[in-house]
Amino acid sequence: MKEKIKAIRENAIKQIEELKDLTKLNEMRIKYLGKKGELTALLRGMGGLTKEERPIIGSLVNELRDKLEEKIKEKEEELKNKELMAKLEKENIDITMPSKKIEIGSAHPITQIINEVEEIFLGMGYEIADGPEIEKTFYNFDQLNAPADHPSRDLQDTFYITDDIILRTQTSPVQARVMEKQKPPIKIICPGTVYRSDTVDATHSPVFHQIEGLVVDKNISMSDLKGTLEIFAKKCLGENTKIRFRPHHFPFTEPSAEADVSCFVCGGKGCRVCKNEGWIELLGCGMVHPNVLRNCNIDPKEYSGFAFGFGVERIAMAKFGIDDLRLLYENDVRFLKQF
Amino acid sequence: MKTSIEWLKEYSDIDVSAKELGDILTMTGTKVETIESKGEDIKNVVVGKILEIEKHPDADKLIVTKVDVGTEVLQIVTGANNVKVGDIVPVAKDGASLPGGVKIKTGKLRGVESCGMMCSIGELNLTKEEYPEQIEHGIMILPKEYENKLGEDIVDVLDLKETIIDFEITPNRPDCLGTEGIGRETAISLGKEFKNPRKNIDEMIVEDKDEIEGLKVDVVATDLCYRYIARVVKDVKIGPSPKWMVKRLKACGIRSINNIVDITNYVMLEMGQPMHAFDIESIEGKHIIVRRAVDGEKITTLDDEERNLDSDTLVIADDKKSVAIAGVMGGQNSEIEDTTKVVVFEAAVFDRGSVRRTSKKLTLRTESSSRFEKGLSTENALRAVNRAVELVEQLGAGTEVPGKIDKYSKKQEEIKIEFDEGRINRLIGLNLSKEEIKEYLEKVEIKVEGNTAIPPYFRLDIEQEADLAEEVLRFYGYDKLESTNTDSKATIGMRNKIQKIEKNVRNLLINSGFSEIYTYGFLNEKDLEKVGRKDLIESSIRIINPLSEDYTIMRQTTIPSMMSILATNNNYKNKDVKIFDISRIYINDKNQIENGEVPTETKILTIGMYGKNVDFYSLKGIVENVLETSKIERYEIVKETENEVYHPGRCACIKVGIDSIITFGEIHPKISSNYGLNNEIYIAEINLSKIEKYARANKKYSPIPKFPAVERDIAIVVDSNIQVGDIEKVMIKQAKKILEKVELFDVYIDEKIGKGKKSVAYALIFRDEKRTLTDEDVNPVMEKILNALEKEYGAKLRE
Repeated sequence: MKEKIKAIRENAIKQIEELKDLTKLNEMRIKYLGKKGELTALLRGMGGLTKEERPIIGSLVNELRDKLEEKIKEKEEELKNKELMAKLEKENIDITMPSKKIEIGSAHPITQIINEVEEIFLGMGYEIADGPEIEKTFYNFDQLNAPADHPSRDLQDTFYITDDIILRTQTSPVQARVMEKQKPPIKIICPGTVYRSDTVDATHSPVFHQIEGLVVDKNISMSDLKGTLEIFAKKCLGENTKIRFRPHHFPFTEPSAEADVSCFVCGGKGCRVCKNEGWIELLGCGMVHPNVLRNCNIDPKEYSGFAFGFGVERIAMAKFGIDDLRLLYENDVRFLKQF
Repeated sequence: MKTSIEWLKEYSDIDVSAKELGDILTMTGTKVETIESKGEDIKNVVVGKILEIEKHPDADKLIVTKVDVGTEVLQIVTGANNVKVGDIVPVAKDGASLPGGVKIKTGKLRGVESCGMMCSIGELNLTKEEYPEQIEHGIMILPKEYENKLGEDIVDVLDLKETIIDFEITPNRPDCLGTEGIGRETAISLGKEFKNPRKNIDEMIVEDKDEIEGLKVDVVATDLCYRYIARVVKDVKIGPSPKWMVKRLKACGIRSINNIVDITNYVMLEMGQPMHAFDIESIEGKHIIVRRAVDGEKITTLDDEERNLDSDTLVIADDKKSVAIAGVMGGQNSEIEDTTKVVVFEAAVFDRGSVRRTSKKLTLRTESSSRFEKGLSTENALRAVNRAVELVEQLGAGTEVPGKIDKYSKKQEEIKIEFDEGRINRLIGLNLSKEEIKEYLEKVEIKVEGNTAIPPYFRLDIEQEADLAEEVLRFYGYDKLESTNTDSKATIGMRNKIQKIEKNVRNLLINSGFSEIYTYGFLNEKDLEKVGRKDLIESSIRIINPLSEDYTIMRQTTIPSMMSILATNNNYKNKDVKIFDISRIYINDKNQIENGEVPTETKILTIGMYGKNVDFYSLKGIVENVLETSKIERYEIVKETENEVYHPGRCACIKVGIDSIITFGEIHPKISSNYGLNNEIYIAEINLSKIEKYARANKKYSPIPKFPAVERDIAIVVDSNIQVGDIEKVMIKQAKKILEKVELFDVYIDEKIGKGKKSVAYALIFRDEKRTLTDEDVNPVMEKILNALEKEYGAKLRE
């Protein structure tokens, strides 16, 4: 009996070790370990053994069963692994082949600037206001301290619909509309399309975009304006951006200023973009003119405010290095997709 | 406004470079546009004397000269024929540079060595106005007395050094449209004393007269003419002006005419007050009348144009005719002639609005009108006319006739401004003492008495406290202002509903492969014709003064804008174009314009595309996604066959209730071909205002189904013109609540099915949220559906 067990053992181990595929392995399992397998047969043949021999042989058979099970499992893992390796080998691909992506489009550069500015000011608690593009001269000029025959009306060539209705030349009329309706504190920005009778060329367009800002509350000062614009300039144009105020004149602000920023292309050293000056003219701003506050029924003795406004195209062009304004309105997709 | 540093030095010591001066003035509000340094580009050009002239051996048109340039004698070949031995001439020596970057080097001209060049006035960037005795195409001949200056630098000899600064003067500062005003700003900005060279003029007293040399003045339109002063000079000798004056006029961009006209221009450039000079003989009855023109009246102005006048125009007239358009331009009929003997100088102040309207109407903007329309000081007018008379005497151009005729109907009031230093400090964000504020104000000649500030006569722009604050800040220094944060109450910054929708939709489209475009809000009638919308022409809002014929009306549809951008891209051979535009249309739907109100503006999202993998259904998918993003779930897609812009068989409309919110489809091939587009063009017009109206702000959670679904596939045969949407409607109606979803998975057309027939196959998904459905639940429903389909559309189950 012991010899028999030994023979089965040697034979089985050898056979298992030589196996090369998984189906044969199962056959092997049945052959030795199945219900009608050789080990079962051995156990059945134990009837003829003595009482003393039985537990010895029994444990030998069981030991052999464990051994074989272990061997088969080992082999199974080995073969499965081999099979997987072969499969993976076969599945090898050229990862430099083109992708199957869903193409994505792009936001227009003007939108990108507007969005960026909106995010900055939304974060500072400003609301985004909107107004009509076809506007009354009352809001575009009169309420903004530029009554009929005011010389400042000459600064802008206006498209007229009637004597009293025009295409707005600036986003500032939205200021007047908001102040009329809303009591301070007011904190708004207003991006929008504006119109001026300028012939199209590399730096002019009869249609362009502005962003206007307005804050009215108690104790608002010109230095607050500077602080606010400084935050804006740093967030929009880079943390190292410096801001400079120069005196200027606008009918709807007093004191008025033009704000320059240190050139964000050369950092102020002087380059083509800033015409070697180190500064780029960014926007017009100032303290809301007391006449404008009065026109909108806000008492200038109690409240003060600041306002600013700038052209979006100019910033987009400088920021993206676009040298011809016409590209923005030609809408060639080869241009648009670059943004 | 251009002026020269040399001129400014009459008003202030200037001990900084031109660049520095420019920077300083820019920072105090007189912005420098450009600085032009004249004479600096002329180097190594000296005075020379021609000693010999010989013919060139090989060229008939050239001569060979020997020129003494002080240190040596140079041989110079020239083609000029206006020189003779003994002439004194400017000589550019070897290595000289001339304006425009020209360099002079020794070289050979037809084999003969030439060691320099004799210069013409043009080559030295001089003009005939400055040197009327010179010829333009020939060598400049210098005066004989320069013989003792041989070898000296021509820049010094002719005093060519001049630095011209072009200032941007803001419309509130007409006082700086004269060199005097800028000179004053210069002195304050540099911290120097303002040297007033016109003290004598300021203190001058001229007697009022009713009549001078027979001249009388009547101002009829006193509302438009605040002050009219006339002074007379006699024994006038018309001639050229002295070089210094011509040079200054030129620096400011004005051509010299003759001494009298030049004086009027000079005074304007000096004091900012436009002037006019008449020949007294041309004034009929020697009677000046300032009145409104009569409708239909005509005048030929100095620029040789006949102008039609109307009763809005203020004119200077005599007994019979108008002789000038007040504040704009003089008439030819009263021009100063060479024979003029007695001259009337006018210095007046006209209503700025009137001048502005007239100059606009006549499209005639002059140095004079652009000053008047900013509002001038009537006090300054008197100074100006006295200065003109003084200059006549100085130039020896005539003799002063004492007295003035002064019609002063609207006296310039002294402005008194009550101010509070606390408010000024708060407005700027400073903490200055009252004394400091007073100091700053007094710098700009504002008188301060207690809490009252009185601006000087020439500062009409200072009217209230905020204006004082600006003056304080200007000289405190805009650049010294600190940056602070507002300490106002916290406010909430948030996008509103339509702003959120716009943002979401934009992101959706970009992520779906669409690029955003920007288009103009105006177009023209032809654009509407091109898209078959002639019907919109009449109701379109029109621009009275369009820039060109291209942009005459405000659009009521975005189709032309989208089509032209698609066409542009097609012309560039861009394949597979997918773009969108969020912009406005403008509709006068309630006659708002006629009633002085603003029209309706609606935000439209326009989607346009062409190329491969683009068809009606891909557009429909995008449209549905726009609706889904905006959380609009209940809508109907209706076929539109009447819309002439679109393909009659490929156009649909999305409706919510009775509102059409989206129109989309393939553009009518006829319209596409108008744009040279021969491919299928797909466009969707999405009304964002309507999307906002129906968008659900909040979405509520509905539980994820607990019970399994039952899926049944059916294929039915119907006439091929039956729309699947209609079939689906029947299914939904019959199945009621347990039908969760209808999925079309196949449409099949084949002769075998039957002529004019199609097979449509659906997967119907049934589910009950409370229990598991069985065949007993679903079978009768399927039967009901099939029966109804057969009844309505003759549908048969496909075998």
